[in-house]
Amino acid sequence: MVTNDATLLRIKHQVLNEVAKLAWEGTLEQKRDEIPYHMIQGPKAQFRCCIYREREIIRERVRLAEGFCPSGRDTKNVVQVINSACEGCPIARYVVTDNCQLCMGKACQNSCNFGAISMSHDRAHIDPDKCKECGKCSQACPYNAIADLTRPCKRSCPVDAITMDDNGIVVIDESKCIQCGACIHSCPFGAIGSKTFMVDVINLIKAGKKVVAMVAPATEGQYGPDITMASWRTALKKIGFEDMVEVALGGDLTAAAEAEEWAEAYKEGKKMTTSCCPAFVNMIKQHYPMLLDNMSTTVSPMCAVSRMLKEKDPETIAVFIGPCIAKKSEALDLNVKGNADYVLTLGEAHAMMVAKGVELEPEENTYQAGSIFGKRFGNGGGVTAAVLECLKESGENTDIEVMKCNGAAECKKALMLLKVGKLPADFVEGMACMGGCVGGPSKHKSEGEAKKARDLLLGKADSRMVHENLKNQGLEAVMMHRNN
Amino acid sequence: MRVTICIGSACHLKGSREIIAQLQNLVREKHLEEQVDLNGSFCSGNCVNGVCVTVDGQIYSLKPEDTKEFFDKEILGRL
Repeated sequence: MVTNDATLLRIKHQVLNEVAKLAWEGTLEQKRDEIPYHMIQGPKAQFRCCIYREREIIRERVRLAEGFCPSGRDTKNVVQVINSACEGCPIARYVVTDNCQLCMGKACQNSCNFGAISMSHDRAHIDPDKCKECGKCSQACPYNAIADLTRPCKRSCPVDAITMDDNGIVVIDESKCIQCGACIHSCPFGAIGSKTFMVDVINLIKAGKKVVAMVAPATEGQYGPDITMASWRTALKKIGFEDMVEVALGGDLTAAAEAEEWAEAYKEGKKMTTSCCPAFVNMIKQHYPMLLDNMSTTVSPMCAVSRMLKEKDPETIAVFIGPCIAKKSEALDLNVKGNADYVLTLGEAHAMMVAKGVELEPEENTYQAGSIFGKRFGNGGGVTAAVLECLKESGENTDIEVMKCNGAAECKKALMLLKVGKLPADFVEGMACMGGCVGGPSKHKSEGEAKKARDLLLGKADSRMVHENLKNQGLEAVMMHRNN
Repeated sequence: MRVTICIGSACHLKGSREIIAQLQNLVREKHLEEQVDLNGSFCSGNCVNGVCVTVDGQIYSLKPEDTKEFFDKEILGRL
């Protein structure tokens, strides 16, 4: 994958592997302090000023991998800043580069409404105290000489939750953060990460508990065309999971329940939003609480499958695996009953395998629990398509307008319109990641890279219908309201 | 009111899930959904005796069988 963080991913995965290995061995307590020395052997620093800082950063990554906050902090946020890894990038947003010709037109100066631009002997100068970061000078310059240096983390945050302390080190405003995880992979220094449940899951498997994996619909295609759902099941069973269920089945359950809700709301003339994307739900709760009444009361596919498993056996520990960070925050919301106990990213689950010498192996797919509509839940527009299919299957009106929001910025816009009563559509599908869950922050491959393999795998799914699928599996009675 | 129950593996093995289920039922029984916000938390390293439960920042160590009494005293008592 071509990203700015190939080296970072290698380091992050190595930390996860090392922690998982020690956790499986039961020696994490005694040997966790050795990991930084093992990984950063020295004597020369590779990435930072010195090996001591590099080791300190690894130490903090180990803490995150164990589910702790980085040292000196104990806050609820899933997404956390590793202070020692943050380079405190320059905070002046607009900077004049040496492309500046000190021209006679001075469009920059003329465009600035705040008198922030003066001329020095070799180029224009922006006074940071006067600059309001409106960007007009940058747009006006005919030489493109004014660079927009917004910090990558700040630029990536859809809800303006990234702030800085007096030393320029990033601070996440937890009251605003929706745990979408966009900042994590935007930082070229890897200074933001998320707490993991990996060690907890390993400990519970080791304690002999019945731990069942629930693999996200977005997973298919992520590891190439030969890694099927059956491959996942085999590998997860090898490392001690009791079983695996594809959450595409939960997609079917959610779509069926949401279709009933939408049909009713449409008749009442009430506008509604989806509720399956946890970052979108967090966005409503934290930034548009007045719209809570418009949010679907149907639980997410993850919660639906978890409830199904627990109904069969209350002792089941349900663990969701997918490309999502915000799902971790959904698991932490205990106001909803029966949801997943733990959430792992694809990378965390994979690290648990690698640490045990297990790999995802090509395998003919013999397993399908969800319909193709449930399987496409993880694509932008997938929820809408599944709900429309359910409406069609039950003979309801399908002539409805849905605003499909691709990414957090579009979600925000739709919610804003809904808030002021100007939403042109009847319903809103909210997906905080671009492309849907397949574009999630912890994806293994980008949507484009995985598309061919995903299309191939999904092309092999049979053509069962949603209601038929639920009926055949005796799942029509699963409780789907969040207050159940 | 923010009530936080540790869901780390150590607390899980000491019965955190049972405590959570009881608290969820008690909150629904008393119709306190609007006032009591139940949250899980990652392990914060306070694993001593029972399950680590925090009410408005104050830490308690709880056993599943004491949940009802705890609810009456520490949660209802503060509302």
